[in-house]
Amino acid sequence: MDSIFFYRSPENSLSGGGPLQGVNIAIQPNISVASWPTDAGSKALANFTALEDATLVQRLRQAGASLCGSTRMSEFGFGLEGSRAGEAISRREADAELVLDLTGESRLAASRAACCGFKPSYGLVSRFGVVGLIPSMECCGLLSGSLETLREILKAVAGPDDRDFSLPGEEIPDFSPRPVDPQTTTVGVLAEAQGELNGGHKDAFSASVEDLNRAGFAIREISLPEFPLFSLVHNIVGSVEASSCAGRYDSVRYGQRIPGARNWNEMYLLSRGAAFGPLVKSYLFQGAFFQFERYDAYENACRIRARLVKEMAGILSQVDFLVLPAVSGASSGDPASITDLYARFSLTAFANVTGQPVLYLPSATGEDQPGVQLVAPRLSDARLLDLGGHLLTMGKGGN
Amino acid sequence: MEFEAVIGLEIHVELNCATKLFCDCPNRPGDEPNTNICPTCLWLPGAVPRLSREAVEKASLLCLGLGADLQPRSAFDQKVYYYPDLPKGYQLSQAHLPLSRGGTVTITDEEGKPSKLRIHHIHMEEDVAKLVHEMEGRSPISLVDFNRAGAPLVEIVTEPDFHTPHQAMEFLKALRTRVRYIGSSECSMENGTMRVDANISIRPRGTGQMNTKVEVKNMNSIRHVGDAIAYEISRQSAAVQAGEAVTLHTRLWDPEKKVTLAMRGKFEGPCVPDPTVPVIELSGEWIEAMRSRLPEMPAERAERFVAQYGLTGEEATFMSSDPEVSNYFDALIDQGIAPRTAMHWLTTQLAPAVRERCQELAGTPVTPARFAALLNMLSRDEINANAAREVLVRLFDGDEAPEEIVGALGFRQVSDPNALDAMIDGVLEEQAEAVADFRRGQGKAMGFLIGRVMQASGGKANPKIIRELLAKKLGAAS
Repeated sequence: MDSIFFYRSPENSLSGGGPLQGVNIAIQPNISVASWPTDAGSKALANFTALEDATLVQRLRQAGASLCGSTRMSEFGFGLEGSRAGEAISRREADAELVLDLTGESRLAASRAACCGFKPSYGLVSRFGVVGLIPSMECCGLLSGSLETLREILKAVAGPDDRDFSLPGEEIPDFSPRPVDPQTTTVGVLAEAQGELNGGHKDAFSASVEDLNRAGFAIREISLPEFPLFSLVHNIVGSVEASSCAGRYDSVRYGQRIPGARNWNEMYLLSRGAAFGPLVKSYLFQGAFFQFERYDAYENACRIRARLVKEMAGILSQVDFLVLPAVSGASSGDPASITDLYARFSLTAFANVTGQPVLYLPSATGEDQPGVQLVAPRLSDARLLDLGGHLLTMGKGGN
Repeated sequence: MEFEAVIGLEIHVELNCATKLFCDCPNRPGDEPNTNICPTCLWLPGAVPRLSREAVEKASLLCLGLGADLQPRSAFDQKVYYYPDLPKGYQLSQAHLPLSRGGTVTITDEEGKPSKLRIHHIHMEEDVAKLVHEMEGRSPISLVDFNRAGAPLVEIVTEPDFHTPHQAMEFLKALRTRVRYIGSSECSMENGTMRVDANISIRPRGTGQMNTKVEVKNMNSIRHVGDAIAYEISRQSAAVQAGEAVTLHTRLWDPEKKVTLAMRGKFEGPCVPDPTVPVIELSGEWIEAMRSRLPEMPAERAERFVAQYGLTGEEATFMSSDPEVSNYFDALIDQGIAPRTAMHWLTTQLAPAVRERCQELAGTPVTPARFAALLNMLSRDEINANAAREVLVRLFDGDEAPEEIVGALGFRQVSDPNALDAMIDGVLEEQAEAVADFRRGQGKAMGFLIGRVMQASGGKANPKIIRELLAKKLGAAS
């Protein structure tokens, strides 16, 4: 079997102390570490070596963590085809792993590895040095078997960065743990998020909601008929952003230049044609189509996105948390098909559209059972970890 | 058929900020190629743009100084096109939500009447890299210099309010003066800090038609803009009269042949909102704070020069056309120099001398205080004009006070009538012929005699006193 690692760090654990002292973290090669190969899983970045550390990396090291290497990833982290995300955790080669979440990748990778997966609020973690594809949707996700480790990592990396002005000026949330009182906590269940589940997954999700109910949480059924629009909006807006974002991969300064071009345009077409895999290539084509031919549809998607963001914020002002299934049950299908990809991520893409924090919590009843996604209002990341901690303890028979 | 031109201008102005628009690299495009670059302006993987506060401030001041309305919300878009001067495949520009809308510049039209020309909007954008095409042996190569990539620009887009080359040229001159006053840019077409594209169409005079326009580029002086527009109007008129259609395209001005040449079909790529640069939100309070930083503008200053210093309208406009000159002018008057003396000596002596030495008025060693000390000696008749010009040359060479130079060179003017008396008598004796000419009514002879006395004094005599004494003596003798 191939190594799950794309690059193994030659460095040993630092002994400088700090809250993450002794925590071994795997990253993906789309997070810049100076002098590490950083190809984001794409031939378009072949041989590219990062010049500077990403802010994330700087902060992890300052907190005492050691980076053990980068794991194999899908092209630009879009989808999980070819990705080994999560395996470093399940094989205990790392205590935590950073996985870019563009459509729900960190959460589905966590589900594969039966560990916790956390997608922070958009804007909480600096993007400086992260090689992305869909800037307004993606956020660095965290995988770990331990919620406490996740909390320490989040504490270390979150907050404003003078190298990324897009982080909000809002106050950094308080990450210290607080007790959860089920009697005063309402959890919403989105009816439309269960429609596509197959029988087994549907039963497992119902059982999880029943567990919450038994633990004393108030459960409220909520309807959001527009839920399927999340994937559509993500698909259109995401492909447009990706098309622009990948415009820089021209084979001039790194990547593979295909010989035989007679002029700059030909060099560009040949090299780009050879650089991208089928899924990313279709996605970039689609984005260029919306940019050049159907700008009106893109504008509509942006308008619908703004409305969906508002509606989800409204829902989360009525309940404290939402609970959703994570795994849609759609079969793997054609790895090059955009439609198939969105079918697989149909239950996770919403949070990339809204920027809300989501915690994937594995099932307490067994590794073969699907877990759930828990959603909180934007920047309530710590409260989500509190809830997750409460539920895990409860599942182990504590509380 | 008589045609009338409809002209709109798109003016790129490079802001004189210390850094580029989205990174901390120095904004010095002229340095050794590819020395002012970083992962962000090369758009290497993982780069994140950081909008420069200084650029937003300087661009906002420019908008306010042109009477434009700063928008409470503006944002950057991606202008998508693929070319080697653009390492990320799109240019960051404000296509949908510009920094400001509206604005006017008033010019004097051909008939001498004031005419208001409207600005449609002003937006910010980044400059692109510079391509240098060379030969390597026998194969052509293109080199890319990224020093200019990401330099902060504003683009001023006018309404199609112009009908003549004169209007366009006057607009550009007025705009340049105002922006220099505001201090946001040097606005020099010659060194590329102001670049002008003209959109020109023609229509039968008196109709309101808006016909297909042609874009003309590559003019590197305001005069060339006028010439290119004039050429393009006659070219299009001839084409239309010959029954040809005008098509949308770009033409380049050839300053040697004085013609415009077709360059390429105009490609308009899509513009999509950029998700990485934060939206710019300007509060009313911030906008007012910016407004309070605006300096006195040229038109206000010219009015003040008329009211306060008694200049004519024309003189006042002339003295206020360059912010450095007018600041220096104000400073001289503050030091007690009479406005007309200050105007005369500043524009005919100091300014040319500063230019000759490739200095700037703001930084020359001949500070207003030193120059005023010199002019004060002149007005007190302590030195004469010739000596003043000599001393001025020496003021550039060191930091001595003008009084010291005058003393050291013995330039102090002799105004004592007793001291001059003997000299004059000597000259009169020598120049009996000139004296006779004068007596015969030849006024020229007086000037000749004054010159002789000046010579006898070694240039130090006060010509005014000589004239008085001479008149007295010759009058008395007649």
